[in-house]
Amino acid sequence: MIKLYNYELSANCYKQRLFLSILGLDYEAVTIEFFPGMEHKSEAFLEINPLGHIPVLDDDGFMVRDAHAILIYLAARYDPSGRWYPTSDPELLAKTAQWLLFCEGTTSTASAARLHDSLHYDFDIDAVRAGAHRLFRVADEHLWFAEQEGYDWLVPTDHPTIADLALFPDVILSEEGGVSRQDYPALHRWTDRVKRIDGFTPMPGVFFAAPARA
Amino acid sequence: MARVASPCTDPVVLDMWHPISAAAEIKPGRVHTTRLLGSPVSYTLDGDGQPVVWRADPALRPGMPVDAARITERLPVIDRFCFIWTSYGDPPDRLFSIPEFDESDRRTFAAASIGVHTSAPRAVENFLDMGHFPYVHTGILGVEPHTEVVEYDVDITEDNEVLATRCLFYQPLAALAATKGQMTEYTYRVPHPYVAMLYKTAPPDPSRLDAIAIFVQAVTEEQIVAHNFLCMVDHTNTDSELKIFQQKIFGQDKPIIENQMPRRLPLAPRAETPIRADKSSITYRRWLSDLGITYGVVPEAA
Amino acid sequence: MTWHPVASSADLTYRTTYHAQISGRELVAWRADDDAVNLWENRCLHRGSRLTLGINDGAELMCRYHGWRYANRTAGCTYIPAHPADAPARSVCNRTYPVAERYGLVWGSVEPQDSGQAGPPAVDLLEAGAPTPLRPIVVNAPPAKVADALAGYRFQPSAAVTQHPGAAADWRSYRSPVGEWDVATVERDDLRVTLRAADGDDETHVVLWVQPVDAHRSVIRGVLDARPPAPSRLAVLRHHNHLLSRLRDRVEEQAALEPMPEPIQVEIVPVTVELSGMPELGAGRRAPLRVRVARKWSAAADVAGFELEPVGSPLPGFQAGAHIDVHLPNGLVRQYSLTNGPGESDCYRIGVKLEPESSGGSVCLHETVREGDVLAISEPRNNFTLSRASERTVLLAGGIGITPLLSMAQTLRQSGLAFEMHVFVRDRRFLPFGELVSSCGDSVVEHLGLSPQRTTEEIGRILGEHTLSAQLYVCGPAPMIEATSGIADELGWPEESVHFEYFANPNEIDDSTAFDVALARSGLTLRVESAQTVLEALRAHDIDMPSSCEQGACGTCLASVLEGEILHQDVYLSRSERAAGDRMLTCVSRATSDRLVLDL
Repeated sequence: MIKLYNYELSANCYKQRLFLSILGLDYEAVTIEFFPGMEHKSEAFLEINPLGHIPVLDDDGFMVRDAHAILIYLAARYDPSGRWYPTSDPELLAKTAQWLLFCEGTTSTASAARLHDSLHYDFDIDAVRAGAHRLFRVADEHLWFAEQEGYDWLVPTDHPTIADLALFPDVILSEEGGVSRQDYPALHRWTDRVKRIDGFTPMPGVFFAAPARA
Repeated sequence: MARVASPCTDPVVLDMWHPISAAAEIKPGRVHTTRLLGSPVSYTLDGDGQPVVWRADPALRPGMPVDAARITERLPVIDRFCFIWTSYGDPPDRLFSIPEFDESDRRTFAAASIGVHTSAPRAVENFLDMGHFPYVHTGILGVEPHTEVVEYDVDITEDNEVLATRCLFYQPLAALAATKGQMTEYTYRVPHPYVAMLYKTAPPDPSRLDAIAIFVQAVTEEQIVAHNFLCMVDHTNTDSELKIFQQKIFGQDKPIIENQMPRRLPLAPRAETPIRADKSSITYRRWLSDLGITYGVVPEAA
Repeated sequence: MTWHPVASSADLTYRTTYHAQISGRELVAWRADDDAVNLWENRCLHRGSRLTLGINDGAELMCRYHGWRYANRTAGCTYIPAHPADAPARSVCNRTYPVAERYGLVWGSVEPQDSGQAGPPAVDLLEAGAPTPLRPIVVNAPPAKVADALAGYRFQPSAAVTQHPGAAADWRSYRSPVGEWDVATVERDDLRVTLRAADGDDETHVVLWVQPVDAHRSVIRGVLDARPPAPSRLAVLRHHNHLLSRLRDRVEEQAALEPMPEPIQVEIVPVTVELSGMPELGAGRRAPLRVRVARKWSAAADVAGFELEPVGSPLPGFQAGAHIDVHLPNGLVRQYSLTNGPGESDCYRIGVKLEPESSGGSVCLHETVREGDVLAISEPRNNFTLSRASERTVLLAGGIGITPLLSMAQTLRQSGLAFEMHVFVRDRRFLPFGELVSSCGDSVVEHLGLSPQRTTEEIGRILGEHTLSAQLYVCGPAPMIEATSGIADELGWPEESVHFEYFANPNEIDDSTAFDVALARSGLTLRVESAQTVLEALRAHDIDMPSSCEQGACGTCLASVLEGEILHQDVYLSRSERAAGDRMLTCVSRATSDRLVLDL
């Protein structure tokens, strides 16, 4: 049985829940009281992850930490189509990795702004918001041209990749950090497309999309 | 924006008690700083574990050790209902009462203090609202087609609190300890302009009521910290499970109340369109008007 | 009226919302499935929630907070889920703004509709070819400053744009060669710049508008005069995106040096006084049941079928011929007969004929109410009862009048009792519940496309001479019922064997008189004023009296009369019942004497 150490309101943990749901995998969610209990820094949890971070995935004894590493693991192990993490195509694989690294940036800006505003984390709020806007501009431009070229997703292929799932939570929850998405219509349309992936699941702060046109 | 963040001058609000932190989250002898009514305020626990609150001093930065005995210019403080309350003005002798708090078999604790981009009255009004359950807390506090809000009673009590009773709403999963759908009866109370409480049947013992509250700290007119407080009869779930459940519910409300425009609660009757389900919010708005509150609202005359 | 571009047409995909803004005013733009574009105030009238958070389901925009739905085009509120019973008998309508699509852009105006220019600006240059919008560029700077900078925008004609400079061997020496390009300003308005780039014979015009989003925020919306040739289309779009982005960087850098202006404060337009009050608790017709529209389907060319499932408590039983009041989201109350067979009480089924000319009940059911909606309904009432103790039963239906008769037919069939059902419709497409009708077997005869004359002849032939205990049930349009009564009378059918149900009362109601009504059991005397009904006078004194159609057709508000002369104005009572003078319908009938005494 897959076990996910996670916290309901965490954007980073949502990435795993989303992917597990899309892959249709059963799992046990172990709730870590990230806030206010700081359980991820407890002595017991540090035995599970010495970095004191969530999420951590335990797949029948195999432990892996860090949001994007878990996505890679789940794709490689449980996606028989090989399309979520396209290892067989060097170009698509590289682009997937490129956008996964881009998400490290959105996590440390957009998601940091949300942690600041919601859970009182100590960040330079103006700096992280400005950083989020810089990255959102890049993503919006990229997705606008992707649409022009006939692609729906970050990586130019007709199927979403784990990079889309890695970016989605940082984007969709950004307004809780005071980062408006009004100026990024292509990014907004892409969030609607992610919401229409089969198996999509929301989290507090995220809504389902309208039903697609028949 | 400047206006919104500038220090509060509303005399009624300045004289009220305001929550600033869960008592359990304060590290003794360390400086903690938050913002209240547009101004920074610091607090700590002294050697006896008693809270001390003062207007923030740039020399005493958050995290620094501090000898509370040396803080002479102190703000009023009380430690009540698991939270520390303070005031910039001349607050009443006592805070409002929660009689259930003193029942010995109850578990009372702070569930989470969450920052939200809205005004205190918008957050309170949302807390009193049932009609959104099927749409915002789908499958937990409500579900279609059980969308109807039936007639209920609202009064201003002798203690000058807003009280809504006989509030009935269908709940597929009324609380963590609930397993199937039922009509749940709520009582709502607004004992303080920035505090809302609800009482509902405790699933393990239908004769008793769980009490849940939000104590709202107005950081500015349009930025708050919602301090969630639980006072539960529930004995089947751990504190942590109850906290997470409450955070999940509040997390669902968050994007909704952050997207109400204007963020300050408009008190003019023609600002919005009430329906019968909104009796409690209409009463609450009138009550705020009568109290003369101007902070966090768009006053009627404006 | 000043029009501003607020989006590219391509931004408004189906089933999503778009957050637009003009001079500080937030707007929601959305495209319905019929391609109509809506531009509204971005606030739900109820609690101020942004509608950009809402659900565009193709026909309506639903607010996320309480599920209020607003209709495509009109922005009228069609459904308030918290109150299926006392629907607001007031029309709630969100604020709409003029909107149009032109040159691949969506245009709007936040000024009053009646001032000046009826549509977005016409640009001759863009009329001829295939105008192609560029990627919009958001600039954090005041609109006027952006427009000034655009006057110096330099670019290449589309035909000269080949590839991305990064692909060239000498990429390091790449600069935007703006100085070398031959670009002329063709026209310059406050927030519009038209430029022409030329290179030999190649020439491209671009029209650049600045959308004034706020005091310190703008969007550059450019349109090329012609669609670039396919192989270089993307290169041209990238060319402009690149150059306009650099222009944006320069403008933003400049703007950052100056004090940032305060955002524009827009006034929230107050709702009407009527909407600002809380509606009173609904009085009068009771609707204790809640049902969910489990299925809505086309039951004939102009008839929608509705299957209504209980919400909460199970549905009460009913008799063949019964009807229910349906309380509609637009505040109207309408009566519909149940088509159910005996014992089918897991849901009620009704048929609603679309009457576009009527006051909006059927239009609301056809166009607004949808599967999943909750409606308030009354308990079933039966004023059209079926007798089983007869040797011959004739059911005569005109069009949608078939609904109560279908219930009767199934009941008779179930009990093994013989009956004849005759249905008169224009043609088969207009036969409601065709499958159900067929399931009634050989007892059903369809009469298609007969003239009124032929219909009358046919009815006479069907009825024949009255035979012992034969019963006739008629439901259809008023002229058909009247003709049938006449024919039955001529053929010797006694009045008590002829049962009819009108959809509506065709009579003109005289309510000019004023009189007293004494209530024998309550010991009260009420004054009924002119323009007031007896029913209204009763209710004004808290006397409980059930009612349904409130137009003298259904018979629900029947009262016994002990004294006084009655002015009958209903179509429910038979001639002899009227003549007896001991009963009246309180919703339409009045007194010819000064005083009536009712057994209430």
